[in-house]
Amino acid sequence: MPNLIRDIPETSGYWGAVWTVCNLPDIHVIADAPVGCYSLLASAVSNYTDAIPNLENITPSFIREAEVMGSGTWPAVENVYKGLHETGKLEGKQLIVVSTAESEMIGSDLSEFMGRLGYNAKFFHSESLTHDEWTGRDRALIWLWENYGGNSATTALEPGLVNIIGPTYGCFNAPADLHEIRRLVEGAGGRINVVFPYEATVADIARLPKAQVNVVMYKEFGHTLANALERPWLYAPMGLRATTDFIRQLAQMLGTTDQAERFIKREKATTLKPIWDMWKGPQGDWYSTTTVGIVATGTYVDGLRAFLGDEMGMPVTLTAARPLRPGDMDNIALRKAIHAGAPSFLFGSINEKIYLSEAGNKMTNFIPAAFPGPIVRRALGTPFMGYAGTVYVVQEIVNRLFETLFNVLPLDTAYGRPAGGPPVAAKPSLPWQPAAKAQLDAALSKLHFLTRISVSQELQMAAETYAHTQHLSEVTPEVVEAVLAGRQGERR
Amino acid sequence: MTAIELPEIELTGPVTAAKPCALHPQAMCPAFGALRVLARIDGAHPVMATDIGCNYGLTFVTHFYGSRKSLLTHQLGTSELMQGDVVEGTRAAIEMAAQEPGCELIPVISLCVAETAGLPEEMLPTRVGNAEVVLVRVPAYAIYSHPETKDVALSTVLARLGEQDGPRADKTVVILGEVFPADPLAIDHLLRRMGVEQTIVLPGRNVGDLRRAGRVGAVAPLHPFYNRTITLFRSWRIPVVGGAPVGISGTYAWIKSLGEMLHLDPVLVNQIAEAERAAAQAVADHQPIEGTVLVTGYEGTELAYARLLIEAGADVPYVSTSIGQDPLVLPDELWLRRHGVRDIIYRKTLEHDVAALDAFKPDFVLGTTPFCNIAKDRGIPALYFTNQLAARPFFLSGGMAATAGFVRNAIAGGARAQWMLDFFAE
Repeated sequence: MPNLIRDIPETSGYWGAVWTVCNLPDIHVIADAPVGCYSLLASAVSNYTDAIPNLENITPSFIREAEVMGSGTWPAVENVYKGLHETGKLEGKQLIVVSTAESEMIGSDLSEFMGRLGYNAKFFHSESLTHDEWTGRDRALIWLWENYGGNSATTALEPGLVNIIGPTYGCFNAPADLHEIRRLVEGAGGRINVVFPYEATVADIARLPKAQVNVVMYKEFGHTLANALERPWLYAPMGLRATTDFIRQLAQMLGTTDQAERFIKREKATTLKPIWDMWKGPQGDWYSTTTVGIVATGTYVDGLRAFLGDEMGMPVTLTAARPLRPGDMDNIALRKAIHAGAPSFLFGSINEKIYLSEAGNKMTNFIPAAFPGPIVRRALGTPFMGYAGTVYVVQEIVNRLFETLFNVLPLDTAYGRPAGGPPVAAKPSLPWQPAAKAQLDAALSKLHFLTRISVSQELQMAAETYAHTQHLSEVTPEVVEAVLAGRQGERR
Repeated sequence: MTAIELPEIELTGPVTAAKPCALHPQAMCPAFGALRVLARIDGAHPVMATDIGCNYGLTFVTHFYGSRKSLLTHQLGTSELMQGDVVEGTRAAIEMAAQEPGCELIPVISLCVAETAGLPEEMLPTRVGNAEVVLVRVPAYAIYSHPETKDVALSTVLARLGEQDGPRADKTVVILGEVFPADPLAIDHLLRRMGVEQTIVLPGRNVGDLRRAGRVGAVAPLHPFYNRTITLFRSWRIPVVGGAPVGISGTYAWIKSLGEMLHLDPVLVNQIAEAERAAAQAVADHQPIEGTVLVTGYEGTELAYARLLIEAGADVPYVSTSIGQDPLVLPDELWLRRHGVRDIIYRKTLEHDVAALDAFKPDFVLGTTPFCNIAKDRGIPALYFTNQLAARPFFLSGGMAATAGFVRNAIAGGARAQWMLDFFAE
C-alpha cells in the first residue's frame, strides 16, 4: 500500500543541510538544483519563516532539460563555479556543492569533480530522496565537524566554556529559545564558546572541543555531533522541573553549583514570579479545565506536555510529533481527529490551522508552534524553552482566553439597527423539547467552559427566534440543528 | 513619427552592454503557478507527484498564497523509485482525493522527480466518482517561470472541460488572467455598458466557468503569457482581443477593438473609450509620477506595469521579467522602446537587475525580494512587486489611479529608506 502524505510537515535533507551550512557566512553553496529548489528555499519560504530577505550565500546550478536528458549536471556546476569565481563571490569562502532530489534522481554524484574546483570545494550528498530535513541537519553538522573540525582528543578544554548546538534556519522560534538557553547557561555559571551553526564561522568549528559541555537544543538533530565531540552534553530544557534540573546538572559539570543555586533562587523571584502569581490568582483556576493539543517537533511536544500537562495540570488531549514517532497520528488521521473535535488550545503549524478552518472551528485557539506556515518568530522575548518560556506560553494561553471571552460577550444589537427604526419587540420564551435541550448541551460541551455562558445564551436566543419565524410553539431538535448548522456556515 | 527611430537604434543600453554574469535566476518555482490556480478552484483537490522537499516548498507557498486547501501526495523517495511505485502511489492519492466532499476535479500535478521517473498518462484514471482527473505536467527544469505554468494548468483543464456543444454565448467574454478582485468587477461593469452580456474570469474559482468557457464570444487576455490557452481558444474558433485595458492608450485601444470584434454599437463604444481615456489622462495630468523607476518582478506582467507608469509620468529605463520573449509581449515591448525604455530583459537574473541598479540610479524599485534587499541596502526605496502590485486595482482608469497613486507615495517615502540605512550603518 503506497504511503500517502497530506500537507507534508517536514522537508528534505537538502533543505535541512542548506539551512544548516548557510548559517556560516564564509561558506558558499552551489545547490545542484532546478530553479524552484533554489528559489523556494533561498527566498520564497525563508522570507516568511526566518524573515530574511534571501539567503545570499547559495547559487543554483540551474538544472534544465539538457542536464536531465543526458549531459548530467557537472557542466552546469562548473559553469556556475566559473561565474562565482570570476565575479569574486568566492573570495575568502569555502565552497560546498550540495545535491538535491533532482540531481540525485539523475544520479549526479559530483564528488570526483571537486578537485577541479578551488576554494577547498567539497561535495555534500544530501540524500534528499531518502532523508528528511532533521536527518539532513544532523548529517550536515557532523559533516562540517569531520571536514573543517579539529581533534577532540588533542584540544585542551577550557573550564566553564559551553557550546550551544542546534539553531539553524527553519527552526521555529530559534532566536528566542537560543536567547533563553544562553541566559540559563550563563546563569548557571557557564560561558558561551560557540553557538553552532547559528553564530559560527568555519574557523569556529575547530574550536568546538574547547567547550567543557555541549547543550543540544533539539532532540531531532545535533546529538551525532555532540557524541563525536566526546564531551558531556545536555538537551535544552522546557518547563519548570526540567529547566531547574538542567541548571543544576550543568552547574555540577562546570563546578559552579553555588552560583547556579543563587541564580535559581533569583529567577523564582523575578522571571518566574508571574507563574507563581497566576497560579495563586484566577488564571491558575482555569488550568485544570483548559484542554490542550500539541502538534510540533518532538522537542516541543514533550516539553509542552511536561509543562502544561504535568506541571500546570492542563489536560493534554491530543499530541503528534513531527517528524512522526511510532504511534503518532499522521496528518491524514490528525485531520480527521481535528474535524471531529479539537481542544480549547491547539499548538501547531499552518496545517492544523487549515484543519480547524475546514471544520468551521473558531472556538479553538490556534497557537503557532511549528513550521510550516508563514510566521515571524524573530523577537527574543517569545521563547518556549527555559524559565522564560514557561511564562511566555502561559501568558499567551491566558490572554487568548480573555480574547475568546471578549468575542462571545453580547454586543448590544441596537448598534446594528438603522437609526430611528422601531425597537425590537420582546418575544415570549418558548419551551424546549428535552431532545432539543440535550442537543444544545452536547454542542456547548465542546466549548471551553469560559465561553459557555455567553454562547449558550446566544444559541438559545437564536433557536427561539428561529422557532418563532417557523411559527412553532416549542423548540424542537430540528430547530437546534438548523441553528447550529447556520453557525457552522457563517464561520466558513 | 520619425522620433520612433532614435530609441530603437539605441537598443544596447549600459546594462546589456555590460553583460552581467547571470548566476541567480529570478523566478518562483515554476510549478507554483499551476498549483496556485488549480488549488483555488472550488471542488478541486490537487494531488502532487513529487519528492518531499519539493512537496514541502510548494505546499508552503500554496497554503500562503493559494488557498487554505489540504494537499495530497504519496511518498516518492528512493525505495518507491526503486520499486517503480510512482503510478501506484499517484493512483492511491487520487482515490483518496475523490473522497473529499464535493470533489469535482482532481488535478494531478507532476513535478521534476516524477517527470524524470516517468508518469504515463494512460496509467491514470480520467474520472473517479464525480471527479475529472487531469494530469498537469510542470517540471521546473523544462518550464522557466510560474506565470507560464498558470497557462499550462489552465489550458490543460480547459482542454478537458471546455464544452463545445450547445449554443454559443456570443456576447459573453472570457477575461483571461489572475488579477486583483476589484479589476474584473470594473471591467465587467464597463463591458456591460457597452452591450456585453456576461464575463467569465479565468483562472477562477468555478468548475462550471471552465465548462462554459468553450462557448463564449471572445477571449480577452489581460496578461501576455497565456499562449497555450489562447491557442486552445483559437482552435475553438473563439476570437482573441489583442492588448489589455492598461493606462491611457492601452485602455482606449482595447475598448475599441473589443467593441469591433463583438459588433457592439460603435457610437456607444467610442463614447466609453473616449471617457476612459479622458479619465486616465486626468490621472496622469493631476497626479503625475516623478522619478526613475525600475520594474523588475517575476510575474510576467512587468511590461504592462512599466507602460502604465510611463504614461503616468515616470521615467522607466529598465524592465525585467521571468517570462520569455513571445509574440504576445511584443506590442508592449515595442511601445516601451518607443517611450524611452533602454533595456527589457526576459528570463532575467539577479545580476541583470543589479547591473541596472548601478547604471540607472533609480528613485524607486519594484522587484523580487532578493533584489529589493539589495536596493534597500543602498537606501533606495523598493517594494516586492508580487505582494504589493497584485493587491491593488490596475486596469482601466480606476486601476491607473490606484497603481500610480501607490507608486507616487512609495517614491515620496524615499527619505525613510535612507534614514533606515543610515541607522543600521552607524
